[in-house]
Amino acid sequence: MATAAMAYGSSIASHGKDMVNKELHRFVSVNKLKYFFAVDTAYVAKKLGLLVFPYTHQNWEVQYNRDVPLPPRQDLNAPDLYIPTMAFITYVLLAGMALGIQKRFSPEVLGLCASTALVWMVIEVLALLLGLYLATVRSELSTFHLLAYSGYKYVGMILSVLTGLLFGSDGYYVALAWTSSALMYFIVRSLRTAALSPDSMGGPSSQQRVQLYLTLGAAAFQPLIIYWLTFHLVR
Amino acid sequence: MSGFDNVNSDFYQTSYSIDDQSQQSYDYGGSGGPYSKQYAGYDYSQQGRFVPPDMMQPQQPYTGQIFQPTQAYTPAAPQPFYGNSFEDEPPLLEELGINFDHIWQKTLTVLHPLKEVDGSIMNETDLAGPMIFCLAFGATLLLAGKIQFGYVYGISAIGCLGMFCLLNLMSMTGVSFGCVASVLGYCLLPMILLSSFAVIFSLQGMLGIILTAGIIGWCSFSASKIFISALAMERQQLLVAYPCALLYGVFALISVF
Repeated sequence: MATAAMAYGSSIASHGKDMVNKELHRFVSVNKLKYFFAVDTAYVAKKLGLLVFPYTHQNWEVQYNRDVPLPPRQDLNAPDLYIPTMAFITYVLLAGMALGIQKRFSPEVLGLCASTALVWMVIEVLALLLGLYLATVRSELSTFHLLAYSGYKYVGMILSVLTGLLFGSDGYYVALAWTSSALMYFIVRSLRTAALSPDSMGGPSSQQRVQLYLTLGAAAFQPLIIYWLTFHLVR
Repeated sequence: MSGFDNVNSDFYQTSYSIDDQSQQSYDYGGSGGPYSKQYAGYDYSQQGRFVPPDMMQPQQPYTGQIFQPTQAYTPAAPQPFYGNSFEDEPPLLEELGINFDHIWQKTLTVLHPLKEVDGSIMNETDLAGPMIFCLAFGATLLLAGKIQFGYVYGISAIGCLGMFCLLNLMSMTGVSFGCVASVLGYCLLPMILLSSFAVIFSLQGMLGIILTAGIIGWCSFSASKIFISALAMERQQLLVAYPCALLYGVFALISVF
């Protein structure tokens, strides 16, 4: 009866897989998520350069193609989720390595680091969503956009930790200052144009002001969280 | 030992739906009753797998009788029919789906990272080769005194799952989990070299760091090369190589420290 059991098992497995897919599609639209991962090497390289040195970039507008935003492959200003995801995983592994160098490593600490960073990310995205909702700002920013923009700080974190490991505490503070200011400039410039939908020209000025305060608040929050999540690694 | 288990165990694994069976019970030869309509038919083409043309069978119920070897039955087409007797059973490796020739070819593909790879070699996902490599990796770690099979399996499971999600999101066509696990397992082979070096001399010096970096690069380069050609992703090789490098980096961490 082995083949009968195998057939039964495979039918159970495919049934389970269908169920998982159905549940997943209720929460996450895979097509919308695929938009954020349509990247190529040139885009990633230019975006990383932009995150470290955004001061010379001129045009921050996200380009549209008949009301549909262009994917990241074709538009440098479009947000993506590949860089934040990879940066998050790299940050967790780097934290493990830094703790290992300081002889303070154990697998539980790795999990602790990962879950702390994840929780702070969730809090930040929820706070931004709440702010956007309360201010009744009508914008094109979905949850994934906010996730992407708040995930870009991990690149700065990785650079700060690396500099701190190579050059000691002074190098860490210098890198922290540089990446924080670059990131603040990047977020303010990106969100100011991204928060406006392509056909509205700003709406009432009070709404514009609230939007600006939100953006500035989000930007100011970044250096604090970068410092909080990295200083214990560069003791 | 029922001979009917052998009918489906050709080299390319197929499965038939359980609905085809109308009668589950065997009628053992005490009373010698007719063994009626045990299988309604074998439809190999339903499952969309590899079907070698000579294996297509017509939809005919098998109305032979069990344990009566003198009963005459005629298979409708000339095909390798695995009958009741012991000598007609397929060899064990073929039944399990392990084909050493294919395993060897895929190993050679990994070992020559600069050679062009054909995208179709990953169409049949076999997990036998990767299993062997995982066990060999754990064995070399054991030789160095680190009993960490659990970490190896846990990390490979999480890594395969992560790569599966990422590749599904990044590529136009999807990819199956077995394909991802198979490719990642085959490209673990250079890591076995690294951990066997760790048995002989410690890897924590400068030479060890250079060797580790080189081997991680080799593993992730060949893994990304196979993924790119199998999934037709353009200009994304470095992007696929980076998560593979992270995964193999964790394995290297286990070997070194």
